[in-house]
Amino acid sequence: MKLRFLLFGIFMFAGFTVHAQEQYTVKSKVLDEKKEPLIGVSVSEVGTHNVTVVDIDGKFTLKVSSSTSLIKFSFIGYQTVELPANKIGSSITLNENVTGLQEVVVVGYGSLRKKDVTGAVASVTNENLNKGATTNPLQQIAGKAAGVVITQTGSEPGSSPSIRIRGITSLIGGSDPLVVIDGIQGNVDMLNQLPPNEIETVDILKDASATAIYGSRGAAGVVLVTTKKSEAGSTQIEYSSTVSLDMISKKLDMLSADQWRAQRETWGVPVSTDHGSNTDWYNLLTRNGYTQNHSIAMGGGTAKFNYRASISAILQNGIVINSSNENYIGRFQATQKALNDNLTISTNLSGSTRKNTGSPSSIGRASFTSNLITNAYVNRPTDPVLNSDGSYFSDPNVFQYINPYAVAQTVVNDQTVNNIFGSLKADLKITKALTVGWFGSWRKLDGNSGYYLPAISTVTSAINDNGTANINNWHEDERLTDASLNYKQVFGKHSIDAIAVYEWQKQTYNGNYTQMRGFINDNTTYNALQNGTLTKIVPGDISSYKNDRDLVSFLGRVNYSYLNRYLLTVSVRRDGSSVFGENHKWGNFPSASAAWRISDESFMKGFDFLSDLKLRAGYGITGNQQGLYPQNSLQLVGSAGQTYFAGSQITNFAISQNNNADLKWETREQINLGVDFALFNSRISGSVDVYKATTKNLLFNYTVPQPPYPYGSIVANVGSLLNEGVDVNLNANIIKTKDFNFSVNGNLSLLKNKVLELSGSINGVPLNTDYVSWGNNSYLIKGHPVGTFNILQHLGKDASNAETVVDVNKDGVIDGGNTSPDRKLEGSALPTYTYAFSPVFTYKNFDLSMLFRGSGGNKIFNSVRSSFSYFESLGKQNLLASAVPLGLFTSKYSSDLWLEDGSFLRFDNLTLGYRFNTKGLKYISNLRLSLTATNLAIITKYSGLDPEVNVNGASGFGSDGGIYPRTTTIAVGLNVTLK
Amino acid sequence: MKKILTLALFATLIMQSCTNVDEVVYDKYAATDFYSTSQGADVALANVYSQIPGNWNGVGYAGADNGWYDVNSMSTDEQVIPHRNTGDWELTFAQMYLRQWLPDHSQINNTWNWLYKSVFNANLAVDLLEKSEADPAKIAEAKVMRAFFYYLLMDDFGNVPFFTDNNITVDKMQQKSRKEIFDFVLSELKDNIDKLSSTKGGTYYGRFNKWAGYALLAKVYLNAEVYTGTSMWSECIAACDVVSQGGYTLHSGAVDTSNPLGSKYFELFGDVCPDDETILAIYTKAEIVGRNIFTVRSLGGADGTALLGYGGWNGSVIPRDYVDKFSDNDIRKHQFRYGSNPYGPQPAGFFTYSLDITNLDNPGAAPNDGARSQKFWPAAPASSSGASNDFPIYRYADIMLMKAECLVRTGDATSAKPLVDAIRVRAGLTGLATNPTLTDIYNERGFELSWEGHRRQDMIRFGTFTLAHGLAPAVDDHYKLFPIPTAALNTNTNLKQNPGY
Repeated sequence: MKLRFLLFGIFMFAGFTVHAQEQYTVKSKVLDEKKEPLIGVSVSEVGTHNVTVVDIDGKFTLKVSSSTSLIKFSFIGYQTVELPANKIGSSITLNENVTGLQEVVVVGYGSLRKKDVTGAVASVTNENLNKGATTNPLQQIAGKAAGVVITQTGSEPGSSPSIRIRGITSLIGGSDPLVVIDGIQGNVDMLNQLPPNEIETVDILKDASATAIYGSRGAAGVVLVTTKKSEAGSTQIEYSSTVSLDMISKKLDMLSADQWRAQRETWGVPVSTDHGSNTDWYNLLTRNGYTQNHSIAMGGGTAKFNYRASISAILQNGIVINSSNENYIGRFQATQKALNDNLTISTNLSGSTRKNTGSPSSIGRASFTSNLITNAYVNRPTDPVLNSDGSYFSDPNVFQYINPYAVAQTVVNDQTVNNIFGSLKADLKITKALTVGWFGSWRKLDGNSGYYLPAISTVTSAINDNGTANINNWHEDERLTDASLNYKQVFGKHSIDAIAVYEWQKQTYNGNYTQMRGFINDNTTYNALQNGTLTKIVPGDISSYKNDRDLVSFLGRVNYSYLNRYLLTVSVRRDGSSVFGENHKWGNFPSASAAWRISDESFMKGFDFLSDLKLRAGYGITGNQQGLYPQNSLQLVGSAGQTYFAGSQITNFAISQNNNADLKWETREQINLGVDFALFNSRISGSVDVYKATTKNLLFNYTVPQPPYPYGSIVANVGSLLNEGVDVNLNANIIKTKDFNFSVNGNLSLLKNKVLELSGSINGVPLNTDYVSWGNNSYLIKGHPVGTFNILQHLGKDASNAETVVDVNKDGVIDGGNTSPDRKLEGSALPTYTYAFSPVFTYKNFDLSMLFRGSGGNKIFNSVRSSFSYFESLGKQNLLASAVPLGLFTSKYSSDLWLEDGSFLRFDNLTLGYRFNTKGLKYISNLRLSLTATNLAIITKYSGLDPEVNVNGASGFGSDGGIYPRTTTIAVGLNVTLK
Repeated sequence: MKKILTLALFATLIMQSCTNVDEVVYDKYAATDFYSTSQGADVALANVYSQIPGNWNGVGYAGADNGWYDVNSMSTDEQVIPHRNTGDWELTFAQMYLRQWLPDHSQINNTWNWLYKSVFNANLAVDLLEKSEADPAKIAEAKVMRAFFYYLLMDDFGNVPFFTDNNITVDKMQQKSRKEIFDFVLSELKDNIDKLSSTKGGTYYGRFNKWAGYALLAKVYLNAEVYTGTSMWSECIAACDVVSQGGYTLHSGAVDTSNPLGSKYFELFGDVCPDDETILAIYTKAEIVGRNIFTVRSLGGADGTALLGYGGWNGSVIPRDYVDKFSDNDIRKHQFRYGSNPYGPQPAGFFTYSLDITNLDNPGAAPNDGARSQKFWPAAPASSSGASNDFPIYRYADIMLMKAECLVRTGDATSAKPLVDAIRVRAGLTGLATNPTLTDIYNERGFELSWEGHRRQDMIRFGTFTLAHGLAPAVDDHYKLFPIPTAALNTNTNLKQNPGY
């Protein structure tokens, strides 16, 4: 009852305001520090909806209610100014927001001014994103924030880079951060539905005190993306486009046909292996690619309403023949205020469709399986592509020979992913301090892929089956709703911002797979499975699945500040999840952090060069449950192929896993100490953070004894993992004049990773897990980083050209076992340092920015080089030119001969832009042309295609088994804004 | 007050429905529900058999690769896969033949894991069948299966961990001596084989019936001296005699032009193992229930295409010393292919294999080195990933030779002669001129049972296993047992490695 009166009162009051008489006119100009007109600044009368926008000459006129009305000037990237109407002179100068202290940082379930942040949070705003023909938002933040490592392995169309925030947090639980786009939570792949052009800011929560609010999904960090919204008072249409030419940056130096023949004679390989041709397989399978981004966005708004809609297309033609990706994304979002601005409802809708034509990713002979393009290295340069009758050449005397050109030309591999997500958010201000909110989001993904492997592809299995076709459908449905109560109040010197939230999530996954073999001809590919041979169906050809996950959370957070100098944040979250074992359904994730703005203290008055100084400290516990798949905790029976029993073939059933009712989330405890600073009127600013994070209850497939377990491993929470490091961010505005500016942004992160413990017990039974093979000669070893190379040392070769290795313990036996004393620790696959720096020059309307990015301290096992270096294989494949000086016939070992330094420094991006002077143009308010080159140069000792191999920390990382080539690109960009 | 109560109740209800995080399973069965019915118990028994046909990753008794069959066959004089000088084939097979294996050898590890997973499955079946008070014959069948796996474990590894209750924790599981395992196997068989069905074929094809149970018992007795130091020849003879009561005979060895190898004899290794001679077979249907790769793995690439229509693997070969022992009149010699006029079909483009193998590991054998095996001439459906030939685990010829061996060992060679002669005559040979010696029996077993998974056991029993043969030099006696795999030792600190490793 009371509420209704209150609302009525608000309406009445609002009515009066609107009809109040305008008594005073403000007329002035808004300029920037260089005295240039600042177009588009929003000028509003505080406390009203009275608003206007500065025109192209920098001028504005606003009629206000009185001469003492407070007028607010706000513009993105500039400090907001509020002045009484009668204090406004002929011009107002807005200062650029160099330190960004006033910027709003999204911290999950709310936002804060940057100056009030107490945790370790990195922000990358729109203008700092990497330019060029980017296809995934992660490419735009590569090298932009300390402690955030973006790795792109190769340039396959549609492939996404990996992101790691402060290292490897989990072994099998997934180290991918949670992604939140305008409040919608999802996995990293959700970024594929986000057009690079539509990003306003990316905020990255790095430490546990910041991510604990996301509880059991926060351990690996959180990436919060805020999309562009239209400013009140403006209406506009933007068109932007980038078109790039993509070229292969490096090829491996293989033996030519003549060189191969010479080696064949030298090594006495039977002449029957020479099929008399001269083929450059790699050239045949590659071409120049291109990438195009086009996007049209429109938007506008008033004080009560704004909207933005955009359509984007990202089109890629890969450098390997028959590989391409098309991604079309439509977005719409609108915000409407009502009830005298006390009710705000905003909605987001986004739909996308992504079509990928891929070259097969796992194909080859039994002895060498990799992606298709790496198979182009395998084939002898003396093999013809076609037989004399025009059919594809194949050599029956080479076990499982494949003709990669035939595969590229005849295999059909299509995938379409449709994605739709929407959200609705409603906030109702009940009193000045209290807001109730409701948020709901729904994300649906429908994927469909079709694959056809015809017998003419030369692939053995296709020949056996006479063509194999399959269709795979998968569906994801993720719903989230939360109800929140937010209390924000200032009591004199104290201010409080508190929030309490109940959240419910349900994620459902289902799908089906059907395969058919034996086709009369290849005409219908995978489009008519019924054309196949029914009697050729084997177990596994037909399957379907469904599983789901419920997550219920209660969470709360209080931000308290005293005198704006002493800041305290406390949060707690309680999560319950259906995927946890019966004995651990609920978990608590608390955090606390504090900050002290020393620069605001009176005793700092004398230190004028210090514009800002803030100390931060935080501690929190987060969890990781996303890597815990549904059904892991249960003892289940599933189908296990066919068996023969009692005179007939029947479906066989078996227990599908070792069950563990104690299964629970991983917990990550993290302590973070940080300092933010700005010097010399904010000309130099930066931050330094040190942290120590320990993942406990480490989820892993622990080795269990067989017997009695029927499977060799069990998913359990036993070990622990440590990451400690330093993140440094530094920005310097070195030269700042009217026409010429020069600034440098840089960051550095140091990371030390260590497996603390892999052993423990399950149900009181000791488990001894150590020296777990984690890739090619890389291991999980207690006390050492994830992916530590423990490897035999190359010595030389014996009389028969077989490799010899060092017999460390001199027992006359080379032991190849995991814990062998003959092995030696030789570093880890994980980089220990990553860094980036980005000089930016602007001269009048020109801007020039560069990005240099590097990492090091890691080793790479060059598996490709070892596969193409032994002359025993010459009779069936090609070898690297570098194999000739080595002269190795064979090796019983896999030694450090193939272990290489993985350090690199890449000149990653160079962008030159020109902004046309649009003053006087009737229809165009902004016009910019740019030229971007990526991957211009690299300094590295690594001999493979590219040192940026997989460093995601999962099993098998740190080994180069053949990548899709990385491209060097040159892109032309155009941005036009129509008014 | 009432209002408040109602409100509180309402709120509680909402809270409960909003905090439910119980897991719902849609696409699998909960083990407890699934197995609690008699149908579930049957399925558990069928699942024990599902592990017998050979499959990838070293699963199964015979048919595929890298598992029990390869470990027990490549370690002998009857076959090897050499590394080729064109770069093909990893060294794991040559290491087996040369007796150079280490405890981390992948095939030994696969064998161990397969056997213990099978023991787990058998334990589960025994437990469930007993709980559901199933047909005693089925309970006995599951127990005999378990004894079979323990027999194979003790045969390969000696002292091995023992458990019959799947809920045991590893700290409570003791490594029992070979003798203790032997005693368990023996008593379990004695207690159960008479409860097994005596039906041959039909619904018992591929299953342990009473006769297969006695064949297993005979094998255990035959090798008792190896396992315990005490021979049990007469017990073996008695068990063989029970098998004979099953009405088994030798399958015909008559000429058959419709057979690719020219004799009805090879039907024993065809699509379905004939009931007259076969006591226990592995049912195989390529890609669906196991696979039989033995011929396609042996033939050269384009030779496979010429002979079968799909590429061969150019893998396993028979060392010359083994082939040379066969008489040219022996129809069983037709299982080999070599030379310019090989046995079997000779389509255009067939290969000429040389009997000699130049080298096994470095630089490796030339592409066409070594005689090939076509004993399991591929039965349809077949492709380069395997054929549908069933595999005989026990057949009557083996039982006859076992009995003959025991007779010779107990000094009754005269009674042994007709048994050996019957097998020789079936193979197109004449009977022996004199009473058989142990060497005659040993050789006859080699001729009759080559590539059927018995050779390692036979060579150990006859004392030839560690001697030099073919390209393999003599090795120390500790190779008569395989090492306990490194992975098993690492996860169970109670385990003690076999001596010498």
